[in-house]
Amino acid sequence: MSNNPLIQTMDLKKNYITEALETPALRGVSTELHAGEFTAVAGPSGSGKSTLLHLLGGLDRPTGGDILLEGRPMSKLSKDELAKLRLTNLGFVFQAYNLIPVLTVLENTAFVLELQGVVRRERIKRAKKVLAELGIDQYADQYPNRISGGQQQRVAVARAVVAEPSIVLADEPTANLDTAMSLDLIDLMKRLNREKGSTFFFSTHDSRLLDRVNRLITLVDGKVEQDESRDAS
Amino acid sequence: MMKAVLRHLLRNRRRSILTLLAVLIPVYFLVFMFGFTNGVVSDLFTTATRIDTGHFQVRHVEKRGMGSARPLLQDADVWAAAVHEMEGVEWTTTRLDLPALASSGDRSQTVYVQGVIPEEVAPISNIENLILDGRYIRSDDHGAVIGQELSQLLSISVGSDLVLLGAHPETGVGVLKIPVVGIYDAPLSEMGKGLIQVPLETARQLARSPRAATAIVARVEGVTGVGDLGKIEAITAQLAGQLPESLEVVDWRELAPQVKSYMSILGPALTSVGVVFFGLGSLVVLNTLYLAVKERTRELGLIISLGASRGRVIRMFLMEAGVLAVLGSVWGALVGAGLILGIEALGGVPIPGEYGAFARAIGMSTELHLAIRWPQLLLAAATMSLVAILAAWLPAYQASKLEPVEAMRYVE
Repeated sequence: MSNNPLIQTMDLKKNYITEALETPALRGVSTELHAGEFTAVAGPSGSGKSTLLHLLGGLDRPTGGDILLEGRPMSKLSKDELAKLRLTNLGFVFQAYNLIPVLTVLENTAFVLELQGVVRRERIKRAKKVLAELGIDQYADQYPNRISGGQQQRVAVARAVVAEPSIVLADEPTANLDTAMSLDLIDLMKRLNREKGSTFFFSTHDSRLLDRVNRLITLVDGKVEQDESRDAS
Repeated sequence: MMKAVLRHLLRNRRRSILTLLAVLIPVYFLVFMFGFTNGVVSDLFTTATRIDTGHFQVRHVEKRGMGSARPLLQDADVWAAAVHEMEGVEWTTTRLDLPALASSGDRSQTVYVQGVIPEEVAPISNIENLILDGRYIRSDDHGAVIGQELSQLLSISVGSDLVLLGAHPETGVGVLKIPVVGIYDAPLSEMGKGLIQVPLETARQLARSPRAATAIVARVEGVTGVGDLGKIEAITAQLAGQLPESLEVVDWRELAPQVKSYMSILGPALTSVGVVFFGLGSLVVLNTLYLAVKERTRELGLIISLGASRGRVIRMFLMEAGVLAVLGSVWGALVGAGLILGIEALGGVPIPGEYGAFARAIGMSTELHLAIRWPQLLLAAATMSLVAILAAWLPAYQASKLEPVEAMRYVE
């Protein structure tokens, strides 16, 4: 693990403003994530887990503070630069799988590579390889609605890692899965972390998954309450 | 990306079909309208040039104080031969028209005497086919054919003598007594009352000018409708450069100004109809693509969050609109063209009532023939495609402006 942080947040704040109300979601989060880590962020509902992931992923702008990705401040990036950053440096796994319904499993997996402009033959080759590594290559030609939720989430993981991003951000990836599938998915992510060195940062409120992580950040009311290293199983 | 675009369109069949129809109907309607008006204009043009004017005439330039008479063109046969020799000229004839007073006994009627070469005049006159009694005139006799109405006014019949008093401002008064050799059934009562045809030589005697004419009438080779007007223009331009100042070339536009007027209002009228239909079509495209953006907020948020650029999102929507616009336009054009070809295969649209009877009387087709002009078809299809794609740009642009996190919240 390198000493230079992959991502560094500095007094990160986010307020959601509605017509009559300003609701703080993050109240100054300062932390670092290093390459190769397998980190979870936990906390009760409304603690700011999803907000933190959105900000780290460049999907939203902070109200205060900044994020440095490999030393570059994200606050200075334009919308298009942020889109390019998401495309090349970040991988996403969402709670609701969010696969594109009109694309097959193989095409969904290769989609990010297509956005990157990788030629068709190469992206198909890489997508097939990742699907095989994740054990879902037999579904390559199926559409998302023809496979189970667990399999869809595996495809989402395949899509997130296929372009080999600096970090994979996953927002409650197991929220829609049963216990067996949840453990299965986390084990899969853990294997990718171990074997390929992929960095994962995911949010969860499922305590059964936390013994798999190397590091656990606990958020309460938009602040880091605890940041502990763990011996993962 | 095209594969995904096509799958999206197939997945939302109802919306795609609605958009397709919104594009198809205006194109189909316009193509059919074009075909219909082409037919009307062509028939008007053919009628005008067939029953009277020819495609162009060579005349003496206008003179003052001529009243209803036309100035005389001397050495007409020489000029007629010169025009006839021109490349591209299909047919010519010489005509001498002058106002006269027709009398029999104590009854008189003002008429217009048309001196024609009977053996040549068929391409611009149908009177020979309208003879009710007697026969048509011949070059080797001095006879007249008159309308049924005139025969009743003057109480004369075939074989009766008719006294013609011609008064031309250039040559003075001429008087002739000639027999009526035939009576024709005029399609219009004014024509039957006022138009007498006599051989050219008879008219020349009446005008007291043995080598004169008032017009050399010509038709141009290969002109079958308004699509061939360029051929007429080419020959009239060439001829105008060769004539002395005293002569002029007058083409069908001046000879049949009603056709020219109709054609001049047709363009703006069709454009207005097109604007309305294209406008309605584009509104439906706009609406359905707005719905598509709304329905796919989840997917768009995902695509944007995965790193798709704004340009990519815009392209995606424009491609969807483009596929529907091009398919709809092509189908619309094919349906319109197919309908026209189908109607033509069945013999055209019958002209109803007195218009049909008039067409029959003057020797014209009693059916309206619709005509396809391929540039119009391409123009209608291309314009609608362009309008539909432009209409899609706004929702596509709005989709590209979606904030990924808002779109993702919409999902969740």
